Amino acid sequence: MSKSLMEWVDERIPVSDLIKSQATEYPTPKNLNYWWNFGSLALTVLIIMILTGLFLAMHYKPDAALAFDSVEHIMRDVNYGWLLRYLHANGATFFFIVIYIHILRGMYYGSYRAPREILWWLGIVIFFLMMGTAFMGYVLPWGQMSYWGAAVITNLMSAIPLVGPDLVTWIWGGFAVGDPTLNRFFVLHFLLPFVLFGAVFVHLWALHAVHSNNPVGIDVPHKDTIPFHPYYTIKDVYGVGVLLIVYLSFVFYAPNFFLEPDNYIPANPMQTPAHIVPEWYFLPFYAILRSIDFLGSFSKLAGVLAMGGSIAIWFLLPFLDRSPVRSFRYRPLSRRLFWIFFIDTLILGWVGYNPADATVLDGALPMITIGRTATFIYFGYFVLLWAITAFGIEKPNEVPKSI
Amino acid sequence: MDFRKIATIAAMLLLLAPQVGMASSGGAPLPKADWTFKGVFGRFDPAALKRGAQVANEVCLGCHAIKYIKYDHLRSIGLTEAEVKAFAEAQGKNKKDRMLSAMSDADAKESFGVVPPDLSLMTKARKGYENYTYGILTGYLTEAETEMIDNATSDDALSDEEIKQIAAKLHLDAHNPDYVREVVRRIGAGDNFNRYFPGNFFAMPQPLTADAVEYADGTKTTLEQHSNDVVTFLAWAAEPSLEARKSLGIKVILYLILLTVMLFAVKRRVWAKLH
Ligand code: HEC
Ligand code: HEM
Repeated sequence: MSKSLMEWVDERIPVSDLIKSQATEYPTPKNLNYWWNFGSLALTVLIIMILTGLFLAMHYKPDAALAFDSVEHIMRDVNYGWLLRYLHANGATFFFIVIYIHILRGMYYGSYRAPREILWWLGIVIFFLMMGTAFMGYVLPWGQMSYWGAAVITNLMSAIPLVGPDLVTWIWGGFAVGDPTLNRFFVLHFLLPFVLFGAVFVHLWALHAVHSNNPVGIDVPHKDTIPFHPYYTIKDVYGVGVLLIVYLSFVFYAPNFFLEPDNYIPANPMQTPAHIVPEWYFLPFYAILRSIDFLGSFSKLAGVLAMGGSIAIWFLLPFLDRSPVRSFRYRPLSRRLFWIFFIDTLILGWVGYNPADATVLDGALPMITIGRTATFIYFGYFVLLWAITAFGIEKPNEVPKSI
Repeated sequence: MDFRKIATIAAMLLLLAPQVGMASSGGAPLPKADWTFKGVFGRFDPAALKRGAQVANEVCLGCHAIKYIKYDHLRSIGLTEAEVKAFAEAQGKNKKDRMLSAMSDADAKESFGVVPPDLSLMTKARKGYENYTYGILTGYLTEAETEMIDNATSDDALSDEEIKQIAAKLHLDAHNPDYVREVVRRIGAGDNFNRYFPGNFFAMPQPLTADAVEYADGTKTTLEQHSNDVVTFLAWAAEPSLEARKSLGIKVILYLILLTVMLFAVKRRVWAKLH
């Protein structure tokens, strides 16, 4: 009965075909390592964010006079409201952890290279949407960091020549961050994840057109592929189990680890916190922004451009990397550059976390010097990757003929 | 080098690094009390909660509100109906009321220059969390210290020796004698010194001393005991769901570990067919 029903449906819309060709029998390289789990992990976290967000939104009030109290109402009075909120707040953190690993995976194994350029670019678009969503979400609890973070970041737009100041007023809906800002950020925070979901769909569409890259980085003939199900379904579900253990350990046992204490103080426009820090996942970019401070009145705009450019430059990777070999596994110089780049972004994150005027080594080394050097190295990665591959400086090791 | 090795080392650096950079944020290093509600199996001590509620009600509410808590909520930490009623009535309230301050904002502003912050979330709203609030309550000058400063200032100028001694006692930077002098001058002028408050001076006069409150259960009434109790109560007020969270957490995490181990076994089994 159910079989004939399925046939009846398939004649009208070929669902079974789609599932077969795109899921169960979808051919996947057999040599993917665990770094390839992070795509499905990102999707898992996105779904958790949308579900918890939806239920939070049923109790949350996007009003400057009520928002902070409504979050406490969720924490105290709503059944399992504390769980929803801690899942959502820590979910944002784990979303970024997962996505950063996913992106670095792509950089290391050359997944951005032909024929996967569009897939890569869509990923960057998703990342921008994520940053926008997380930034506006962080404003919603309307604590001190929400308010001042929003003020500092939106203020950056004022650096744009001619229209900057008017643009900022337009974004704020007034002459300062306030109730209208909160209200529109809520609307956008509700909307963007669904746009993001759409972008993920197109990302997967592009993936299924060109298929997965793999650690060896060569094109895989059909005989070296395995069906997605059961091999990768079980591997992905196992990965989800591991992620949930780590993520929920924070939710249940250190739910405030990634949150700033200051955000438990209600927003107060009259009192600037001693030290305004963005969420940890923005810190490297924030450090790049602040390290451009030596261009006089042009510094602010240059800083904003450098910050935007530090991500936008990922778009160029398919053109910058000229090596005949995709995977860095067989590219000794690129690999070294990659690890320097990776550690450099961690240093940038640390610089971003510290006050701009901090020093290390008893005042001998100003933080700003470290920040500038690290920014230089950050961009240097892209230039050097181009140089060593465009001029044949890197001699790749021998690449296996098959996986 | 190996991808995994570097990733782990770097991730560890990332976690450790922030602390290195933040070490210098003013105020003495906080006292580290042993809270019963920390850790995976941590729970609030019901007796401490009850005593803490009394301290909060009788002392802190004089100036602060704990607005997210209603008197009625206190029943969930073990107060009887009659006790709740007595607590509320002592403040001229009834059990459905929130724990608001007896002092109006305007009066507070006039007396202190600021409205004392609501305490409902205090233990979550400062770096150092519970230890910070505990530090604030116990960080004022002791009698011996007041005496030491009085003696030091009885003749005209502070000697280097006296500055060193004061700096050591009050956790000040001995390399900055001008700051120590300024602190001593302000203490003399009657400002509220606290060794754990970043900046050392603020508007709250010492709220709690030994024997401030009389405990029905006969517990000793030292400053440390009072502070410990009221901070325990404030930690509950900041996170009433803490115990529910921890006990649900155990079940969820154990379940997930079991599930994940089984998934791993299945994964191995499925993939074994390939080789
Ligand atoms: C005599 C009035 C008064 C009493 C009683 C009082 N406080 Fe305060 N408290 C204040 C004032 C005023 C401030 C604001 C200080 C400032 O910001 O300068 C304050 C601030 C605080 C702070 C915040 C310090 C910071 O980091 O900003 C804490 C914590 C605190 N009080 C705890 C308590 C506790 C716990 C009690 C009860 C044991 C209590 N207070 C009783 C007046 C009082
Ligand atoms: C891309 C996915 C999402 C990300 C990265 C994200 C991120 C965030 C962040 C960082 C916060 C602040 C958490 C805190 O400090 O309390 C937040 C709050 C919030 N989000 Fe989201 N969110 C996402 C999806 C959604 C969706 C789909 C909805 C609604 C349908 C939603 C509704 C809310 C609400 C109501 C709050 C305020 C309550 C609170 O602060 O906990 N979110 N979000």
